[in-house]
Amino acid sequence: MEKPDPTATTSARRLPGWARGALWAVVAIGVLSTASYLTDMPILTSSDTSQTALRLGLPILLAAIGGLWAERAGVMNIGLEGMMILGTWGSAWGAYYGGVWVGLAAGILFGLLGGLLHAVAVVTFNVNHIVSGVAINLLGLGVAKYLANLVFEPISGNPRESPPVEKFDTYSATFLSDWLGALEDEQRVVLSDVAGLLRGLVTHVSPLAMIALLLVPASYFVLWRTRFGLRLRSCGESPVAAESLGVNVYLHKYIAVAASGGFAGMGGASLVLLEGGADYLENQVNGRGYIGLAAMIFGNYRPSGLLGGAALFGYADGLQLSGGGAAVLALCYGAVLLLAVIVVLQLVRRHWWAAAGGVAGAAVLYWIYWTNDELPSDLIPYTPHFVTIIVLAVAAQRLRVPKAIGQQYRRGEDT
Amino acid sequence: MRRKRGGALAAIAMAGVLAMAGCAKDSGGDGNQAAGDGGGGEPGSCVTNEAPAAPENTQQEQTTEHGDVDASDLKIGLAFDVGGRGDASFNDAAAAGVDRAVEEFGAEKGNESPAAGSESEAAKEQRLRQMAEQGNNPIIAVGFAYAEAVRKVAPQYPDTEFALVDDNSVDAENVTPLVFAEEEGSFLAGVAAAYKTSECQVGFVGGVKTPLIKKFQAGFEQGVKAAGGDNIEVKSEYLTPAGDISGFNDPAKANVKSKSMISQGSDVLFHAAGASGQGVFEAAAANDALGIGVDSDQYKQKTLADVKDVIVTSMLKKVDVAVYDYVAAVAEGDPDDLPERFDLSVDGVGYSKSNPAIEDITDELEGYKKAIVDGDIEVSDTPQS
Repeated sequence: MEKPDPTATTSARRLPGWARGALWAVVAIGVLSTASYLTDMPILTSSDTSQTALRLGLPILLAAIGGLWAERAGVMNIGLEGMMILGTWGSAWGAYYGGVWVGLAAGILFGLLGGLLHAVAVVTFNVNHIVSGVAINLLGLGVAKYLANLVFEPISGNPRESPPVEKFDTYSATFLSDWLGALEDEQRVVLSDVAGLLRGLVTHVSPLAMIALLLVPASYFVLWRTRFGLRLRSCGESPVAAESLGVNVYLHKYIAVAASGGFAGMGGASLVLLEGGADYLENQVNGRGYIGLAAMIFGNYRPSGLLGGAALFGYADGLQLSGGGAAVLALCYGAVLLLAVIVVLQLVRRHWWAAAGGVAGAAVLYWIYWTNDELPSDLIPYTPHFVTIIVLAVAAQRLRVPKAIGQQYRRGEDT
Repeated sequence: MRRKRGGALAAIAMAGVLAMAGCAKDSGGDGNQAAGDGGGGEPGSCVTNEAPAAPENTQQEQTTEHGDVDASDLKIGLAFDVGGRGDASFNDAAAAGVDRAVEEFGAEKGNESPAAGSESEAAKEQRLRQMAEQGNNPIIAVGFAYAEAVRKVAPQYPDTEFALVDDNSVDAENVTPLVFAEEEGSFLAGVAAAYKTSECQVGFVGGVKTPLIKKFQAGFEQGVKAAGGDNIEVKSEYLTPAGDISGFNDPAKANVKSKSMISQGSDVLFHAAGASGQGVFEAAAANDALGIGVDSDQYKQKTLADVKDVIVTSMLKKVDVAVYDYVAAVAEGDPDDLPERFDLSVDGVGYSKSNPAIEDITDELEGYKKAIVDGDIEVSDTPQS
């Protein structure tokens, strides 16, 4: 959604990062409310939609935060998926014996163990990051399966599922929520849309969701505003230089990758411990770790960006599930509007080719919108994937990857 | 600098505390009451057509007993589909049938082997061949995924009996298909839904849009129409298209889908979505709606104990009975005597009565059941839309 890129500072009058983020959020809401008004699809901005977006986006957000920590320290973490699986088992186990908070802690712990294993392999033994990550994915699946057989089977009578576990209570900001609800029901242009989207974010919110959302600014603060964070990122940019300045690269990488695993484990817990979730269920993670990684890359290895990526995926997924083909078409229409904004922006900046690309994309989307009443139902479930791939393809033009990512590093050697 | 940061943190903490003060915990629990009486009319008010008369002695359970069968020279091999033992679905049911046969007939338990998630045809053939080589007879292949493998392997071992669950496309001397009339059981689920809805709108949640699951949809829709005519609307939705089996394993998505169906007015949901069904029941429990289970009696399933009150009934597909009958038939030497399809007339499919909430409409359900068995109602196995 945004691309604050410190190396490509071309103009002196750039807005600060938070202002750009806010601006894009306003544009997104404006586009959605216009689309919902013009296509007569209030579901685009209903409180239910934003609520499901938050819930479906949550595991992805946490996986993405996990990815951010590891990648910023120069370690590729394909193993997020496996760490999430470990987290699902751990949280179900903890929650069954000790309640939700113990479950959350156990989920984080199990993910963290997966992270530590990855750290031992790639930091200490210099194993190829991808190979170790894939190994952890397989291992996570196998270990969870084995443990479920061992521990859950006698209780639930089913080796693939845990017994029902306690779930997080949800909280609502009552007055605010009622007021926004009244506003939403009035169906006034823009105002009701904003009210609907906001209301979904303040009703039925679990503590886990609040923690996850707070982790975004917290990660930013720790990684970009503290000494520790600077050192950690320097390990991802140039470990040799960091070492020459006295930074303990091994230690920082270990901490980063272990934290990464912990966040991924928390993402696994969010699949188990939320209302309407699944308890532990074999294969329930189902690729969310990879999607989290993609959201993080699309977010340009920045906390605000990955929040945008996770929100986008959760939103598109929730929309296609609850609204079906008609809602997805309305989303197409919204995308046309968004592209129009981008085209104008590119024209102002005199990026002719980008503007032309935008026009072409908008034309295709509008043609899809115009010629179809109902999209083929076989494609609708993949809406979030399409959306993410397209946005990724557009955004990947200007990614700024940590320089030393995936590289081997040995203390005392200069590469 | 440092002090300033502390001040900022304090301000954030204060704001957080203030925000929390305006928050309230959502009252839990009250959503868990058995629902059905909220909203518009009374349950049953949407029914327009009178049910066929129920047979005189409704409660007669006809469990087949093969008391004196001796199957001690049989060694039963079980080739599972993906999931294997513990899927709380048809693999488990097949295993239960074999276990019962082993216990009662003294048959020997042979090899058991689950399929991997994405294995090739060759691996399936190899598994069947290996079982045949090891002297398993009969060999029960669970799931239509084995159709091609059985078609190839069975002629190579003419002295071994094969059973193929959920597929009857293989035409060979030593292959017995064990197929079910899912649409007939689902028809009764549809009738139950029609009697239990107060909003005159019910829903079907399919896991993956395969021909097999479409049979459930077809039967359900016809059952609703039979009882409620055009008065009741049926919404049918699938989680994933054919080829993407994740729809059977994603309760969170099923939960979102069900919630949106309930908010659009459906108040009874029938699912054929495997493990995703849990999400359906949880959405029903949280929103004063009802659910109907599938395959086994889900009211009794341990992993669903928290939400069992909303599971008003389950459409049963008795793979265990079919497997058990098959073993008995093989022991007696005439597997061709088995019914061509396990349908309502032989109790191969049916509905569960374990939840007391179903008691007030069992007469109507038995009436429809009799009408189907007698041939007065014909249930098509493909959806109309």
